[in-house]
Amino acid sequence: MNLKRLAGLDILSEEYAYADDARFGYVAASRAADKWVPTTCGYCSVGCGMLLGVKDGRATAVRGDPSHPVNRGKLCPKGLSEHHTLSARGRAQYPLLRRSGKMARVGWDEALDTMAARIRGIQARHGAQALGVISTGQLVTEEFYALGKLVQLGFGTNHYDGNTTLCMASAVSGYKRSFGSDGPPGCYGDLAQADVVLLVGANIAENHPILCQRLTQNPGATLIVADPRVTKTAMMADLYLPLKPRSDLALVNAMAHVLIRDGLYDREYVERYTTGFAELKASLESYSPERAAKITGLEEYTIEHAALLYGRARAAFIGWTMGVNHSTQGTETVNAINNLALLAGQIGRAGAAPFSITGQCNAMGTREAGFASSLPGYRKFESGEDRAELAALWKIAPERIPAARGLAYPDIIEAVLARRIRALWIIATNPAVSFPNHDLIRQALETVEFLVVQDGFHPTPTSEYAHLVLPAAIWGEKEGTFTNSERRVSKVNRALAPPAEARPDFDIFLDVAGRLGMREELFPGWQGPRDAFEEWRRVSRGRLCDYSAITWEAAANGGIQWGGERLYGDGRFPSGDGKARLWPVDWQPFPEPPSREYPLILNTGRTVEHWHTRTKTGAVRVLDGMSPRAWLEMNPRDARALGLKPHDRVSMISARNRVDGVELRVTEIVAAGQVFMPFHFAGTNANRVTQSAYDPISREPNFKQCAVRVEKTAAARSAGRVWKSRP
Amino acid sequence: MADGEACGAAGRAGILPEQKPAEGEQYRFHFDMTRCIGCRCCEVACAEQNGTPIEINWRRVGEIEGGAYPVTQRFYLSMGCNHCLEPSCLKGCPVNAYRKDGATGIVLHSPEACIGCGYCTWNCPYGVPQYNPARGVVGKCDLCYHRLEQGRAPACADACPEGAIRVELVNIEEWKRDYSSADAPGLPAAVHTLSTTRITLPDPIAAAFERADHHRVRPADPHLPLVFMLVLTQISAGAFLFLAFLPGARRQAALAALAVALVSLAASTLHLGRPAFAWRALKMWKRSWLSREVLCFSLFAAAAGISAVAPAAPFAAALGVAGVTASAFIYLVPARPAWNSMRTMADFHLTALLLGPLFLAAWGIHVPMLVAAIAAAAQLLNQILKLLALAASDEFELRAASRLLTCDLRALLLARMGLLIVGGIVLPLTGRPLWALGLAVPAELLSRYLFFAGVVPKNVADSFMARRAA
Repeated sequence: MNLKRLAGLDILSEEYAYADDARFGYVAASRAADKWVPTTCGYCSVGCGMLLGVKDGRATAVRGDPSHPVNRGKLCPKGLSEHHTLSARGRAQYPLLRRSGKMARVGWDEALDTMAARIRGIQARHGAQALGVISTGQLVTEEFYALGKLVQLGFGTNHYDGNTTLCMASAVSGYKRSFGSDGPPGCYGDLAQADVVLLVGANIAENHPILCQRLTQNPGATLIVADPRVTKTAMMADLYLPLKPRSDLALVNAMAHVLIRDGLYDREYVERYTTGFAELKASLESYSPERAAKITGLEEYTIEHAALLYGRARAAFIGWTMGVNHSTQGTETVNAINNLALLAGQIGRAGAAPFSITGQCNAMGTREAGFASSLPGYRKFESGEDRAELAALWKIAPERIPAARGLAYPDIIEAVLARRIRALWIIATNPAVSFPNHDLIRQALETVEFLVVQDGFHPTPTSEYAHLVLPAAIWGEKEGTFTNSERRVSKVNRALAPPAEARPDFDIFLDVAGRLGMREELFPGWQGPRDAFEEWRRVSRGRLCDYSAITWEAAANGGIQWGGERLYGDGRFPSGDGKARLWPVDWQPFPEPPSREYPLILNTGRTVEHWHTRTKTGAVRVLDGMSPRAWLEMNPRDARALGLKPHDRVSMISARNRVDGVELRVTEIVAAGQVFMPFHFAGTNANRVTQSAYDPISREPNFKQCAVRVEKTAAARSAGRVWKSRP
Repeated sequence: MADGEACGAAGRAGILPEQKPAEGEQYRFHFDMTRCIGCRCCEVACAEQNGTPIEINWRRVGEIEGGAYPVTQRFYLSMGCNHCLEPSCLKGCPVNAYRKDGATGIVLHSPEACIGCGYCTWNCPYGVPQYNPARGVVGKCDLCYHRLEQGRAPACADACPEGAIRVELVNIEEWKRDYSSADAPGLPAAVHTLSTTRITLPDPIAAAFERADHHRVRPADPHLPLVFMLVLTQISAGAFLFLAFLPGARRQAALAALAVALVSLAASTLHLGRPAFAWRALKMWKRSWLSREVLCFSLFAAAAGISAVAPAAPFAAALGVAGVTASAFIYLVPARPAWNSMRTMADFHLTALLLGPLFLAAWGIHVPMLVAAIAAAAQLLNQILKLLALAASDEFELRAASRLLTCDLRALLLARMGLLIVGGIVLPLTGRPLWALGLAVPAELLSRYLFFAGVVPKNVADSFMARRAA
């Protein structure tokens, strides 16, 4: 601080000056821009259109794109401050290679040569399947398409999955089982057109706040929210269903039971467009509201009331997110939801859809084009016809396309521990924070022979373990397309060059293919993402996710929904017989009930200020300032019994491990016997206590319920733990 | 696309009034609590609009909570400046850095005119003006005055996805008659300043709502320069009070007391963000107690100086008493309930009556020590009465101040009372004035420290989690 400032002669007038931005008017001069680059938000999959302001080679501001049909100029707090991620501290800048325990800066050539040589070496010794790849929902579709080919055809391993398995896998599996294919049937407009909206385990006011506009537009609709926690969304509800944790399947089954019992289901629709009604009906016999009331803790009449509201609706919408998916019964719960919608014929019409509200900005893109959980274009590994078609499009031998899906994400981690997978390539995700049962992933990251972490940030809790760090461009620094929850393909554009030597993931993938000597074979004549997009358009032609009518230019203009506004309007489903399938599904209790030693049920979730593991939002000062720490919500009754006060620092202990120094919030938001904690914070990581339990079909982890006890943190433990780095 | 366009129309329409304010009208915010979903877009948009650092929030979203699971209600309060009809920030400002714009009613602040005394931050019951230490001046929400001039919405209203924040016109006379919709749970009563922000409350709203920040009251800024400034001016004023009545010339003691006054005035400028402009504080003596304090003590220092060569001690004494009185009036503000009591007036004067005689006695002047002992005893009683009044109050800020003093600051409080008893009563009565002064001065410095640190300002309810400081 200089003397002029101390004396008060200087009040930093220049730094705090205002300017008149040509497009957006009077604003702090530091936020005015010379150029506004249209793009799509890089956080969640609502897919808001935005304008990224640039001045003097710096991203200065973000504005909601007033002409974009998804958000019409509005953004959430993360979106409003997204430009700060581009200049945030902690960006990865140079390739780094571990040499005798220390990370040393190397050139790209050395980095990629080393990567190819090490992986090829391990594959030569242990088989091609000794490489596992874990990607993300954050890349552009063109990158996912390129990466899928590189991993499956180039490296020849099918042990390839994304962090989308921690997120939407249950929705994917549920859709595939019910309808024959992945693909959310509805659109956001349905929220504004339904007369009944049922949200199950979906806290959109916190996690997808821009979607709430659609409900605001639809004041006549009855909003029903089923959630064990009185979330921001629950407080918006006309009918709130405070059900016990993980009892949603029983609730939905009981609603279906009432529809059948009272003849409120759509007989004609069921007969013409579905199979399996008889089995479903038989299985639902036992789901009387009386029994469901015992399972869910709701009143019998409340369940009846919800069922009648849904059954009598002209157009009824069901939205769900992680409350359903993060479960060992996630897929089956999705099937129960789809059953209900099919029974009532509430699908394929305006306002009528079962609809998964996706997490990451481009989780949809990797599902469509990614070649991980299915072949590109929602083709099936197990279908010879699909493999042959794809091989013909790619002009390769059909045998090169695997006939079965490789290991899913949690199984890749288990395989690392079993030494079946020896090399791991992690791209744009942070499992050291996001994976359940932290000790397991820590062991895996510590023991894997060769770990490549490709990320826009370094160090992250995951990249700390890496042998090789590849610095990647992030949102704002690269071009491509994202698909949002409602299947809208929107353009993402480059406004700035990546920092230092960081490169777009797309370029890295092409370069790696080059090191394998396969660039021309995998990516013939490709220069940029547009080449991948054009090939993907051909590959997706005729599939449910058909991009052939979507052009690069059209995607830039508010985006285009593949499949139109809604799917299945004609009642034809992409299953073998063209019909949707009704699945009898049975409720089971969650895997780790509370016990004497661990008497509380932990529920995990998010807060509006942060995104996933805070790699980005933790580096955005305004967001970090608003929400700097994790907290634990506990009902006043439990707090009294434990002698705890608001703002006490508490420890949460499960059969796995413990988290210390979490700030206690005593609140009636959670029921007695339950606690809630956000999972964003690396220093107080909720996933240190969550368990290794996965949905048998989707392999999605059961993040949402586990048994814990809570006690006051002893002073010695209260200092925040830091990331554990590799020895 | 069709629904997107509809959405746009619903989202944009009506966040600005159709016309500019007519005669007798002004702009104001309308906050619809039933629409707010607590997404905090407004806070981020405001910070981006104004380029404010993270510890400064011209718009803040607070939480209030009530009910019992599962009938729990949590509502959000998104508040910027209320552009009050009787803005206490403006009234107290010693340099006239505020003005209430005639055409729009917007309360505007000029960083160029501001000297960074922070008095407005004590006066506003909503915590609206915030001091920016990096600049040395205060800043506040101006309802995006310049954007309104351009026909654009304020950043907060523009960003709100739910249309919960709007700008509308208010008829000033009608609002003066009925401003009941400016009140809401979690907000200080509008009566103090006639806040113009209209709030739409949920209907029905549960009776007992608690602020989410209720349990995280922390000691306030102790303002060390002011701790010294107050105690030293009070020593000096007290000394001159007795010099004026004691027979004979006491030149040396008078000069010493003058030196104390000058040191204290110098100390007070350290409190300012812009000490170079301290002289401006004289400007608003007709309106601001802060200006009056500066004026009184400046004249006091002048009279005290003259008294070294001419018989001006009685003038100095009168000006000193006036200065101490003006000092006390500065703190009698509704926005800081723990200060807003005649006990503060008594406190400051009793310090003068305690330390003035002890100071003179230390210079070998014979002053009846019983005066000091009585002042100390009264001071002790004053402190105890304050603690009792705080604890017995049903006002949140007073009870919270009681908790601060008796829990967080207990050790200092006990030390102060101990020092006061020994230094203010025992030692003076046992004829050890120098020792007495040595203990009584720290006692009163501690007292002022507790005065500043132990206040809980009125403010808008905040979120549960404390924000990260800079």
